[in-house]
Amino acid sequence: MSLTLFHRHVLEDYLSDFGTKANPNHLAVIRRPAIFSVLAHRGHDASVENELKSVEGIDVRDCAPGEWLVVSTSAGAAAIENLLADIAGASIVDQSDGRALLRVHGPNVRKILAKCVAVDLHPDSFPIGTSANMLCCHVAVNLARTGADTFEIAVPRSFCGSVFEEVMEMGREFALTAAFADS
Amino acid sequence: MASLITCPHCGTRPKEEFSIRGTALTRPHPAASEEDWHRYVYLRDNPKGRYQEYWHHAAGCRRWLVVDRDNVTHDVFSVTDAAPARGASE
Ligand SMILES: [Zn+2]
Repeated sequence: MSLTLFHRHVLEDYLSDFGTKANPNHLAVIRRPAIFSVLAHRGHDASVENELKSVEGIDVRDCAPGEWLVVSTSAGAAAIENLLADIAGASIVDQSDGRALLRVHGPNVRKILAKCVAVDLHPDSFPIGTSANMLCCHVAVNLARTGADTFEIAVPRSFCGSVFEEVMEMGREFALTAAFADS
Repeated sequence: MASLITCPHCGTRPKEEFSIRGTALTRPHPAASEEDWHRYVYLRDNPKGRYQEYWHHAAGCRRWLVVDRDNVTHDVFSVTDAAPARGASE
């Protein structure tokens, strides 16, 4: 199964992690997020969305009509799979080993991301709780605003190194630091 | 400007997020004549002006869209999901 991929994070070689002190602008690489792809069967878009939003302990990210990413940084993949299994009219796929989760936060986060994505991230057009698929550093990712100055990026695993290096480069003028985080 | 496409699902996005499939033609009936199929597969009008094309929002919602635009002035008249037009959705 996905165990071997899971136990060695794709960014292991990019982060020294020798007790780096986090600056105000910081990128946290979530070590083991549970990430599921949920697809509604034809005609079930609204009912699946309602059910998803009523499940507690998960974050639901919008991808497309009838398609979502379910993210959890606290519960394991098996627990999330159980929570989602009961939803009628939906197919779920475990993506936990296929995506990496980067959390960027800090006072200059919008200035950093403005150099990475082409979407307007002003709170009026991208308020807390908004998420969407978009191009970030030439890679199709899912970006979500989880706080006033916090964004989470779900990156396909094999492109993660490239996106990580580019975001760090864009954050250099704001002294962006990076480290692994457990949740 | 045609470099900004307003996806009905994702909002205004740069053209780099899309890939263009070509003219939005109606697919002939499977039993249509060879001549109709030949025209559908190989022949294009290549007009100067208003044009309807299939665009795939590859880096966004990954839906097929029909973009109605003018290839001289770069005006975009409409962007719609391709599925309802073909009667494919719901
Ligand atoms: Zn879209």
